[in-house]
Amino acid sequence: MKGTREEPVNRRQFVRNAVRGTVVAGLGALVGRLAAGNVARGSVWQIDPAKCVRCGKCATHCVLEQSAVKCVHAYAVCGYCQLCTGYFGPDPNDLTTAAENQLCPTAAIRRTFVEDPYYEYAIDEKRCIGCAKCVEGCNRFGNGSLFLQVRHDRCVNCNECSIARVCDGNAFVRVPADQPYLLKTTTA
Amino acid sequence: MNGKPDQRLSRREFVGKIALGAIGAGVASAAGKRLVAAESNPFAYELGNLAKTDPKLIGYEETGRLPALPMPARHLEIGPNNTLFAAAGNSIVSMTRDGARSLEIALGGPARCVAVAADGSIFAGLRDHIEVFDGKGTRVASWESPGPKTWLTGLSVGENDVFAADSGTRVVHRFDRSGKAVGRIGAKNAERNAPGFVVPSPYLAVRIHRDGLLRVNDPGRHRIEAYTLAGDFEGAWGKFGAGIDGFCGCCNPINFTFLPDGRSVTCEKGLPRVKIYTAEGQLESVVAGTESFPENAKVGAGEHDSDASLAGLDAAVDSEGRVYILDLVTAQIRVMRRKGTGEHKA
Repeated sequence: MKGTREEPVNRRQFVRNAVRGTVVAGLGALVGRLAAGNVARGSVWQIDPAKCVRCGKCATHCVLEQSAVKCVHAYAVCGYCQLCTGYFGPDPNDLTTAAENQLCPTAAIRRTFVEDPYYEYAIDEKRCIGCAKCVEGCNRFGNGSLFLQVRHDRCVNCNECSIARVCDGNAFVRVPADQPYLLKTTTA
Repeated sequence: MNGKPDQRLSRREFVGKIALGAIGAGVASAAGKRLVAAESNPFAYELGNLAKTDPKLIGYEETGRLPALPMPARHLEIGPNNTLFAAAGNSIVSMTRDGARSLEIALGGPARCVAVAADGSIFAGLRDHIEVFDGKGTRVASWESPGPKTWLTGLSVGENDVFAADSGTRVVHRFDRSGKAVGRIGAKNAERNAPGFVVPSPYLAVRIHRDGLLRVNDPGRHRIEAYTLAGDFEGAWGKFGAGIDGFCGCCNPINFTFLPDGRSVTCEKGLPRVKIYTAEGQLESVVAGTESFPENAKVGAGEHDSDASLAGLDAAVDSEGRVYILDLVTAQIRVMRRKGTGEHKA
C-alpha cells in the first residue's frame, strides 16, 4: 500500500501558488477597504463636550451661513437656577429678561418661570449661532448642562469639516451616523 | 525663433524650483495655521476686573502648603488638638498642621465629608450613609442611609447630635449619636419659616456656630441661613453679585466655616475665592482671591458624575485663627495667616 507522501512542488507550481495567494490577498484587502469606506460614509461629525473649550470658532468657521453647531440643553443636569450664568452676564444689573442682562448675543435662550425660585431655560435654535458664550458661563459657574452639538438636520457632513480644522480643543470626532449625538448625562 | 533665448530649465533647476515651491507652501501653511490659532474669540466670556482682587482687601498671606491629598479631595475639617481631617479619595486622612500624616482610614467608597467629635470619634460621610470610627481608626458603626437619593456633602457633630447636609434631598438630617434619625432641617415648611434650600449643584454644608444655632449655606439663594437645632429658620445673610462683597454665579457660597470669634469664612466656585464676613454678613476681608487659584478657575464642568468635578474650595480654621484652604482641583491645602506681625486675630 502506497503511503500518502506529498509530491514535491516544482518551481513553476510554487510561482503559480504564490501568484494565486497574492491575488486572493489583494482581493481581501480590496474588499476590506471597500467595507471600511462604507463605515466611513456611515459616520458624521460631532463635538465631544468633554473636549470643547468654547473657542467660538463653531460660530465663525462653518461652511454654512449660520453654523450647524447649536447649543443644546441637558435638562437632567440643569439646576433650573434663578441666576443662570448661561443666561445672565457675569454681573447682571438685575435678574430680569432685559436685554442688557442677557449673555447671549442673539437672545437665543428663553427663560420661563417654573416655581419660586426655579426657572427653565430653552434654546431657540433658529437664533442660536453656536458661539458657546452661554456654554462657557454655564460651565464656569454651574453644572455644565449647556453644551454644543453638531445638529444633523443642518450639517452637510463635509469630508473635512472646516470647524474641525481650526477647533482649539480638537473636540470634533467622527461618530456613527445611527448614534450621531454625544449627550451629557447624569449619574446623580 | 532663433532670436529668443533658450528658456528651457535644466533638470537641476527644475528640481530646485520644485523644492523651493514646496518649502514656500509649507511655510505659508504653517503661518496660516498659526494665524487661525491666534484669532481672538469675538464671543469670549469676559469677566473683566471681577477676577481681580483689590490688594487692600486681602487680609491674609500664605505661609505654606501641605502635601497633596488623594484625589478627589472634597472636604476639610479641624478636630481636637488642631488635627486636620480630610475626606479625600476613598479615605479619611488626618494630619498635623505641618502636614505629617497621622492616620488614614480606608472606606468602601469615595469619602465626601468628615466631622470629628470632641472625644475623637470620627464621622465619615459617604455618598448615602455615615460610618463612625474611633480615634484610632477602628470602625465602630455604619449607619442606615436616609434614602436612595441621599448625596451627603457636609457633616457637623455636636455634643449629642450629628447633622448631615444632604444635597440630594436638599435637607439637613439630624441624628443622635447612635445613628438614629431624629429630625430633618431645612425642608420647605411655613410653620418653621423655612424657605427650602436651593441646591443646583452638590454643595450643601452645615456647621454648628458658637451661638448654638446651625448654619447652612443656601447656594441657590446666595446666602448663609441660621436654624435652631429643631429646624426653625432664624435668619439669613448674603446677596448675589460677582463683586467682591457678593456671592457669584448660580450657586455660592459652596462651603463655609467660622473663625474662633464666630466670624464666617466663605468659599466660592466659578470665581474661586475665600472671604471673611462679620456675624452680620458684612464683608470684612479676603483670605485669597481668584488669582490665587488659577487651576481652579480654569476648570469647567465635565460630565456630571462627581461632586468634585465642579471644582471649588473648602476651608477649615484652627484655634489660632489660621485658615486652611483645600483646593478641590489640585487637592492641595494652603495655610493662610492674617497679615501683619504674624499674630492671628482670634
